[in-house]
Amino acid sequence: MRSVRALAAVALSLLAASSVAALAGEPKNGGILRVYHRDSPASASIHEEATYSVNIPFMPIFNNLVIYKQDVPQNSMESIVPDLAESWAWSDDKKKLSFKLRQGVKWHDGKPFTSADVKCTFDMLMGKSQQKFRKNPRKSWYDEVVDVTVNGDFEASFNLKRPQPALLALLASGYTPVYPCHVSPGDMRTKPTGTGPFKFVEFKANESIKITRNPDYWKKGLPHLDGIEFTIIPNRSTAILGFISGQFDMTFPTEVSIPLLKDVQKQAPKATCVVEPVNVSTNIIVNSSAPPFDNLDIRRAMALALDRKAFVSILYEGQADIGGTMLPAPGGLWAMPKEMLETIPGYGPDINANREEARKLMAKAGYGPGKHLAVKVATRNIPIYRDPAIILIDQLKSIHIDGELDVVETANWFSKVARKDYTLGLNLTGNAVDDPDQSFYENYSCGSERNYTNYCNKDIEKLFDEQSAETDVAKRKKLVWEIDKKLQEDVARPIIYHGRMGSCWQPYVKGITIMVNSSYNGYRYEDVWMDK
Amino acid sequence: MAVINYDSELRRAGAHSTHGWRKLTYLVQRHMLGAIGLVIMVLFVMAALLADFIGRYDPLSVDSLQRLAPPSALHWLGTDSFGRDVWSRIIHGARISLAVGVGSTLLGSSIGVMVGLASGYLSGWVDLVFQRITDILQALPLLVLALVMTAALGPSLPNVIIAIAIPLIPTVARVIRANTLALRELPFVEAAKSVGMSETRIALRHVLPNTLAPLIVLATAQLGSTILTEASLSFLGLGIPEPYPSWGRMLSESAAEYVRTAPWLVIFPGVAISLAVFGTNLFGDALRDILDPRQRG
Amino acid sequence: MFAYIVRRLILMLVTLFGISVIIFVLLRIVPGNIVDILFDAAGFVDQADKANLEKELGLDQPIFVQYLKWIGGLLHGDLGYSYVSEKPALQEILPRIPITARLAALALLFSAAIGIPLGVISAVKQGTRLDYALRVVSLSGLSLPSFWLGLLILMASVAMFGTMPIFNPNPRTWTEAFAIYCVPAMAVGFRSAALVMRITRSSMLEILRQDYIRTARAKGASESSVNYHHALKNAVLPVITIIGIEAAFLIGGLIVTETVFNIPGVARFLVEAIRWRDYPIVQNLVMLIALVVVVTNFTVDMLYAAIDPRIRYTD
Repeated sequence: MRSVRALAAVALSLLAASSVAALAGEPKNGGILRVYHRDSPASASIHEEATYSVNIPFMPIFNNLVIYKQDVPQNSMESIVPDLAESWAWSDDKKKLSFKLRQGVKWHDGKPFTSADVKCTFDMLMGKSQQKFRKNPRKSWYDEVVDVTVNGDFEASFNLKRPQPALLALLASGYTPVYPCHVSPGDMRTKPTGTGPFKFVEFKANESIKITRNPDYWKKGLPHLDGIEFTIIPNRSTAILGFISGQFDMTFPTEVSIPLLKDVQKQAPKATCVVEPVNVSTNIIVNSSAPPFDNLDIRRAMALALDRKAFVSILYEGQADIGGTMLPAPGGLWAMPKEMLETIPGYGPDINANREEARKLMAKAGYGPGKHLAVKVATRNIPIYRDPAIILIDQLKSIHIDGELDVVETANWFSKVARKDYTLGLNLTGNAVDDPDQSFYENYSCGSERNYTNYCNKDIEKLFDEQSAETDVAKRKKLVWEIDKKLQEDVARPIIYHGRMGSCWQPYVKGITIMVNSSYNGYRYEDVWMDK
Repeated sequence: MAVINYDSELRRAGAHSTHGWRKLTYLVQRHMLGAIGLVIMVLFVMAALLADFIGRYDPLSVDSLQRLAPPSALHWLGTDSFGRDVWSRIIHGARISLAVGVGSTLLGSSIGVMVGLASGYLSGWVDLVFQRITDILQALPLLVLALVMTAALGPSLPNVIIAIAIPLIPTVARVIRANTLALRELPFVEAAKSVGMSETRIALRHVLPNTLAPLIVLATAQLGSTILTEASLSFLGLGIPEPYPSWGRMLSESAAEYVRTAPWLVIFPGVAISLAVFGTNLFGDALRDILDPRQRG
Repeated sequence: MFAYIVRRLILMLVTLFGISVIIFVLLRIVPGNIVDILFDAAGFVDQADKANLEKELGLDQPIFVQYLKWIGGLLHGDLGYSYVSEKPALQEILPRIPITARLAALALLFSAAIGIPLGVISAVKQGTRLDYALRVVSLSGLSLPSFWLGLLILMASVAMFGTMPIFNPNPRTWTEAFAIYCVPAMAVGFRSAALVMRITRSSMLEILRQDYIRTARAKGASESSVNYHHALKNAVLPVITIIGIEAAFLIGGLIVTETVFNIPGVARFLVEAIRWRDYPIVQNLVMLIALVVVVTNFTVDMLYAAIDPRIRYTD
């Protein structure tokens, strides 16, 4: 009896599931997805660029060794699934990561994919090959890799100096596609060739990017779309109007600010919109090698003066996360618990008390109501940088710091901060993956090109290495929390907030998943389809 | 090109008096539009000079709570995305626009006069070389040449003035050269030469004063172009840099983001530019009518 | 006549050569080049990589070597390679020309269709209120910055239609084509129309004063035949001059209007290339613009000389 009932139950649930599936609709094939793009990428080569302006249009052209599962919003070790690698395994001493590669995969020009392509890609990234990338922003990701060896056509291994569990996370990022050996880096910048669900058609600078379906994709039945067209429209108002009036099927992912989102939802009530953290922190870079911020008291005072909730309520209408270097929960996986966060100076709930203390510190340094400290606050000339800079200047007034806005053209920004030609800067730091290895090393290690503040603490770097080699996740988390706390207490780079952005699409667009802890990894688009 | 004898002109036109106030009122009546243009120009100049008093706020001070506020009693023309008061920025912008407009016109005209005089008076290879240079400079439209020059020199206030002045040189030089050529043939120059006056002295003391009239007309005509060119350069992001309040750049920031949500950011700076240029053009037209009736029309 | 043409042609070539030198030198005065910008866009500055890139692009060679390379290439139709897109400059520039040409033609049409008749009316009715009003209108047309006019049009279209014209290289309907091309053309053409009106008016006035008009009147020709027959026929000359002057005038308007309306034409390309310090593109575009202006002036002068023999023998 029980077994019959069980069988009936299973049958019923199957029926229910399939009817739900039928209601949701089987994915339809066909159609060209029209998206607007916010600016013209400098080139089409993902490995040579460092902005999601390149990932979003060109990630569909490639495959990685492994990838974060595209329909799981939260990137984590558990959501890493095979892509060009069918399986992988760590050696016993955890210093060798071996991948068994998929057979029968072809590049878009018909040539077969083999392990040689894997070796080529990573040799180029590590600077070991004849062919060179013009720019190599993520070279430091492979600092612990001695070399990549191949064993036959379908096996490749990474040999490390010491264990680094995070390597797998870095390989799963949208920033780590596999490039072909037989195409030069120059061609990859203008006509990229990959193994992915879509093939490159054209890239007209400042006009459009077009990609089309790869009929020979190794995942049978995918992709559903016939192609994707990106129209480049730097003028945000025009672009959003285009979406509202139906000329675009989707907004540029993670690009709609919260105030604009309300506008979109009002004008296009049928559109689906989501707001997710983008794992980009808005922070203050402090030049601690020059006065006045070489004085720890003044740095601490500034950190104490911040009213982070005010930033969040003015700019995001409350929809942003406050935390340390790592993205806070529920989106992020590595942030310290709230109780721990609030013990850090400046994060406590009593703003007035904090500011009192800050003023005392300023007085100790010789500044008060009679003597103000004049500083220049440098920032990039785009709204997402400018707006928080203005609020920061306002808030600094409460501790007798008179900030003056110094707006820098985008083309000059990075070299200006790289040569430390600033006092205070309002900066945005994008994190490619939600993993401490990526955030800590890039932004805080001595000598890192992206360490704009020149923060250099050898003891903390030892801790970086310790957490990086730690294979037990729980232990690693505790270490990461300690490090994060220390970084904030040292006022290396005060984190103001982790913003959230909106993405909208028309109701007939299905299969879009916006990641909650990254804005660089979720754009393969092989599951996207349109119900029309 | 004869020297204008103003009094006889007036009498021929039927003026009853040629002195003082009557002359003035007659002028104004006859050239009403020009008078209006002059008034507008004077208003802008005063705004520029008295900016600190008329502008109610510091044009550079940011106020995060007042971002994008529509016009109100507190902020007459609203605020921009930084919370800066638009009225104050427009008033202070008058300073920038006038500085650039007048500066580049003066610079371009002075160099143009020297080139034109030398060219027309000295002839020979000097003339040939200068002619070719003016040919070259005139082959490019004003905005294009100014664009390339600001790109070449880098965006800063003095560089923008230079960049806009240079394309003006050929136009001025051409006119002055033609004028000089004509004057050179006149008897009083021959007379001066026969008495033994040096070429330079003749050029400076006799030829130059008689080129003044067309020069003034030309310069005033150019003033409108220079203001517009500066506005276009700043609009394209290649002119006056942050944080100076340039009318053109106020429009470029607003265009990108706020056409729908904050129209006051688009309307008022444009009105300022148009009004300033309009006044200059009106005045320039009237001046041309007065000083050089041959060009009348 | 032949000598005159040859003389003018040589002058044209000298002018173009002079421009090429000037533009080449100007672009390289200021420190900082495409390499800086490319690296800044990547958010990352590695000196060794930068030096390599400069060598690859030939930016480390002495200036006049680079200049000769460019000019040499120009003479075979090789305009060099765009630094940004790494495609031949010709390939980047050529497809954008028709778009700008369409806009320019429409703007010229608009300005002639509005400016010439209004200018004639204004001249014929000189001194009347109509003349006054038209003069004020033309003056205000000249005072409006064309980019502001474009912005106002965008605002109006949003307010009235809830949308802005978004450029589409293959418009599907006539309304779309109209919105995409005619609206910006009107924004550009407005200023030109004002200019055309003023010049037409002043040259008509000039003609109307001429002796032979008086003679025609004395001979008994009717008022209207004097106006529209003799006067207009002889006003053709200045109209040709107008077209010549307009060419230069229009280009400035096209640059800002294409930027406002986000149209991928050759004029907007110039601004983008300047921002990116994409020298090959900037150099070639400036030469192209100079060529257009110079050839237009040359043609105008030739037409002038052909129509009015008095001009031919003086310079």
